[in-house]
Amino acid sequence: MFTGVLSLLEWDLTSPDRSFVGLDNYRRLAEEPEFPHALTRTGLYVLAMLPFATVVPMALAVMLWKRPGRASDTYRSLLFLPVVLAPVATALAWRFILDPLGGVVNLTLGGLGLPEQDWLGDPDTALWAISLITAGKFVALNMLLYGAALASLDGRALDAARVDGATEWEITRHLVVPQLTGTTVLMSFLCVVFAGQWTFTNIAVLTQGGPDNSTDNAYLRLYTYAFVFFDAGTGAAAAVAIVVLLTVLFAVSAPLRRRHARP
Amino acid sequence: MPGHDRRPRATAAAVTRHAVLILTVFGMLFPMLWALSASFKPGSDVYGASPLPMPATLENYRYALGEFPVARLLLNTFVTAAGVTVLHLAAGLLAAWSFVRFAHRGQRVVLGLVTVALVVPPQALIIPHFLMVARLGQRDTFVGLIVPQLATCALAVLLLREHIRAIPPTLIGAATLDGATHAETLRRVVLPLLRGALGAVAIVVFITTWNEYLWPVLVAPSPEHTTIQVGLQMFETQEGPEHGPLLAAAMLATMPVVAVYFLASRRIADAFLQSGLR
Repeated sequence: MFTGVLSLLEWDLTSPDRSFVGLDNYRRLAEEPEFPHALTRTGLYVLAMLPFATVVPMALAVMLWKRPGRASDTYRSLLFLPVVLAPVATALAWRFILDPLGGVVNLTLGGLGLPEQDWLGDPDTALWAISLITAGKFVALNMLLYGAALASLDGRALDAARVDGATEWEITRHLVVPQLTGTTVLMSFLCVVFAGQWTFTNIAVLTQGGPDNSTDNAYLRLYTYAFVFFDAGTGAAAAVAIVVLLTVLFAVSAPLRRRHARP
Repeated sequence: MPGHDRRPRATAAAVTRHAVLILTVFGMLFPMLWALSASFKPGSDVYGASPLPMPATLENYRYALGEFPVARLLLNTFVTAAGVTVLHLAAGLLAAWSFVRFAHRGQRVVLGLVTVALVVPPQALIIPHFLMVARLGQRDTFVGLIVPQLATCALAVLLLREHIRAIPPTLIGAATLDGATHAETLRRVVLPLLRGALGAVAIVVFITTWNEYLWPVLVAPSPEHTTIQVGLQMFETQEGPEHGPLLAAAMLATMPVVAVYFLASRRIADAFLQSGLR
């Protein structure tokens, strides 16, 4: 609420001097290139991480579900670790191995005779590197959610297919995956919602949005407006714009989510 | 199908499966493992290509703990995470209880608002939160650090509400009939039944707060109050390219949570599952 009021003001957060500027902050958001650019980059993050929020964790969950036992439990608890690891520590570990000069990734590539890269310093690769770093958390959490969906599947239909001589692959392909559609729709939606939030820490620690604003995202832009440029009004306008966009998305996707909701 | 030709194929499939899973685990944990190993390497070969620290040294840890207030930062983080967790449980429990016990006509609207609060990204709230904390003179205090993090307690409210609704009303009715006050019913009847759900909320909130970065960096940037996640960055700017001690500090920042995770990985994963599905 307060954010909404703030978005109509021009104010530097601390001085008593503030004035009502109406929708000027919103106009500035839309007209200057930064915010639309940040939204586009956020969209790219979503696209880059979508497979890691859906296909990859689904495959892992199915593999673990097919052969329950000690080994699967161990894999599952190890694969879930990225969710509990501190994001800042993870980001620092990544920067350490991606270091352009002495990082193990480039040492290995160099050793194999492949071209070395400044992964986080090159505008062409930085966004993808950040996406990959953040993707671990999506894989870990969504594997768990897919696992829960699998556990509630009806085992009788699967057994019947098995008796009829269907191969495991056919069962997975034609019986299991279609029943996971609802979960996949939900995971895609959550990927859109969380892509911006979860990349934030990695961007803040690793690139601060650079190089050339290539790793900017909507939340980082909001943060920059408010706490780097001390322009509370525009920052708040960005916050309102993000929430409105998410709400619209939520409303638009409602029929899709409802259609695939599990009974 | 003859049994003798099924066996080898099943074995081959099992080997492939284990290979894929082991590679995935390795791929996902590789940066952490490499950094962990490097944190034991002496300064000169932190960037070395050897996978194991040979020779191994505790020098980086000694330096991190001696020259920097890492212990203090860890304590701050613990205080903050514990404070946020306790407040979450208290607020969540009371709100959930009143939702179930004092149902009223505005109920649906309020519940709807709580659900909306669930999807509002915390980053969208940092500006007003920051202003309130600054106005109340609570910048760089534990109060300023802890209280606004309660804003995400919608999840606790909804989760606990589900669990309270699952308690048979006759049980609560019986307690009332026996003359128990609301507070007594809550403490003697509801609380023991909610132990599992409260534990799940506590686990998720504690870990999330431990790992939180944005709010502490904004509101409490000084080493007296800030958390270890922010401290890591401070460490970095002051140390420049001195990476050994930084990695050691990063390991200290994440290892407490990892240790707790390995003690109760099943339970912790379940807690995230419950809260994830709401």
